[in-house]
Formats: sequence, structure tokens, C-alpha cells
Amino acid sequence: MSASKKPRVALVVGSGSVKCAAALGLWKSLDKAGIPIDMLVGCSGGSLYTAGMALGFSVDETIQKTKMLWNEKVTEQKNWRALAGVLFPKLFNNHFGMVSEKPLMARLNSVFGNKTFNDTKIPLTIMATDFQSGESVPITNGKIVDAIRASVAIPFVWGAHKVGERLLIDGSVSDPMPVDIAIKEGAEIILAMGFQSPISPKIKSISRYAFHINSLITNNLYQSNFSFHSAAHHAEIVPIFPDFDRPIRLFDTDQIPYVIEQGEKATDAQIPYIRKLLNL
Amino acid sequence: METTITPGKIDVIAVSGAIDALTAAELIAIFHKHIHDGHPDVIADFSQVEFMSSAGLRAILASVKEARSVGGDFRMANPSAGIDKVLKMAGFHNIVKIYPSVQEALASFGS
Repeated sequence: MSASKKPRVALVVGSGSVKCAAALGLWKSLDKAGIPIDMLVGCSGGSLYTAGMALGFSVDETIQKTKMLWNEKVTEQKNWRALAGVLFPKLFNNHFGMVSEKPLMARLNSVFGNKTFNDTKIPLTIMATDFQSGESVPITNGKIVDAIRASVAIPFVWGAHKVGERLLIDGSVSDPMPVDIAIKEGAEIILAMGFQSPISPKIKSISRYAFHINSLITNNLYQSNFSFHSAAHHAEIVPIFPDFDRPIRLFDTDQIPYVIEQGEKATDAQIPYIRKLLNL
Repeated sequence: METTITPGKIDVIAVSGAIDALTAAELIAIFHKHIHDGHPDVIADFSQVEFMSSAGLRAILASVKEARSVGGDFRMANPSAGIDKVLKMAGFHNIVKIYPSVQEALASFGS
């Protein structure tokens, strides 16, 4: 890191559904300490929060919007055509999601509307995965809604989403903690927050079985990526992993205030070190 | 960051404080000097380590590599829950021998 030039700071928020709201606590903590962020990278659940931050939503505004956007109602409407394709292969159409995308898209549109990446106050990258090739796809232009829809396309829950010419799925399938993007963009200090998928002790249905397998693969990928990028590069990755004393499930939005509090607490502990790195 | 060396059949180096970009180079130097002073086997007691960034992870890797290059091993003991979370996230349990206590780490060299 050069002593004369201010290091570039990135905030990376990886996958983790509601737990990613801890990034709002992190945001509050940085704001209190007067530490600016030069770029934001979000993946899956993390894309919802990084998009809000990049667009300049306040913390309270983001909490309200998240509660409205991300709750169990978003998965209530089944995708019957896709489910029929399980029994009747001729109805199967390239990709699959048990849940209709309509409620999700309606909510995303109500929160982000026609906002594009050009509207962001801080440069934003949202991660998705190319459904055909499996490569990770950093999205930096176009409509925010499309980028988030692709980034949160949890396998088996929502189908792939077309962005431009590419069919995209959940970013966590290829890059659940995308610190590599921040490194590539020249960040020297990377604040990294992300969460492994919870593993349920009991698997009571075929859909839970599919989630379970997906979680195992994603968690191992998460570790491999984080390990490689921590060991192989010279950027300073500051892991901010809040502690939770209770299980936080996929749609536990009532736990958001607690999750934010834990994110703030975990970040507060690192503020003196971050200030030293930035010569503040 | 501070270190305390407890000599024994296998020396135990207790580390306290933060291992980050500001302290990692000093820690690597301490571990490497100790390894090349005729102590290829080292146990690092991490019970008092409060924070570790990617620079800390790289310091561990460098020390493991150094110890193994001279026929020894670098093993870790008793990381706190927070540090163990970082070690697990980075998959370090697969490449470094990490024990819940110094006693178990010491015993592992005898087996």
C-alpha cells in the first residue's frame, strides 16, 4: 500500500439471505467513524443491501424496503408449469424454479423501479452466474432490478433470468464471497462480509434435500474462494463475520434489527484497525 | 501483537492481539527465526489472538511452509471462536493441524 495515496476501500457483501442485513450495521459503523467506501460488490442476498447503499438509501429506509421485499410471501406462488415439467419432461424448458418469479419481480420493481447502475452514488458490481458456462458474471450496467433478480436466483427456487444475451442464475453458484472482483478493480482494503448457508439437521422433503445439497456445494466453494484469495493476493482482506446467538433463517426478516446490531458490533471492533490502515 | 515463548520438548509460542497487515511481517520474522534456530516443530497458541485478517492467514501459511521445508511442522492450538470462524471460512483446517488445546497439540507431536 502506498503511504502517499489513500488506499481504495471496497465493501464486499456475499451471500447469506437475511443475515446480509448485517451489512447495514457495518454501514452504520463506517458512517459513524467517517470511513468512506470506494466500491461495493454484492452477491445474492448481499446484492439487495449493496444496491441500497450504492443508491444512497438510508439504513432505516433499507430496513423498511427489505421487510417488504424479502419475506415468505415472495415464495408463496408456485411455478406450476415448471413443477409439471418434473413429471412431464416434454414440458421442461431448459431451466427450473419451483417458485413463480412474479411476486419477486413486483417487489424488486417497487423498491428499485427503473434505477440503473448509472444512478448509483458509489460504483456497484452485482454478481451472477452464467447458467450455460458456470462462469461468474459481474454486472455493472443496466437495470438494478435485473441484476438483483439474477443474483438471487437461488437454484431450484427461482429460474434463471435473462440479462442481455445471457441466462443468469444466483451469484453464489460461482462466487459466493466475491472479494476477487474488488481485487481486480484495484481495492487495497477489502471489508468482507458473507455467510455460509445454514445446514438443516432434518431433511423433510425433496425440496429441502435439494437445498441441502446446494448448501453443501456453496459452502465448500465459499471456503475455497475465500482461502485462495486471502492467501494469493496482497490486498488486505478484513473479514467481518458477526456472531449470532440464534438461528437466522431464509425469511426471518423480524430478526433484521438484531442482525444489524450484530453487524454494527462486529464492525465497531475493527474500526481502530481500519482507521490505522487509512491513516485517519 | 505480542509473543511469548515457552520452551519445552516442543516450544510453544503464544500470540496475543491482532495479526493483520500492520503486524504480520513481524510475526513471520519471529516464527521463521525460531524455526531456523533449531526448533523446526512449533506450536502457536492462538488463545489470545483477537483478530486476524488475510495478512494473518498468509503469515500462518508462510510459517507452515517454512517449518515443513526444514522437516518440522507448525501446528496451532486453542483459537478463540471468532478466530476459528475465520480459519474455517478460509479452509485452514484442511491444511494446518489445529487443536483445541496446547496439551493436545503437544501430544500430537508424540504420536
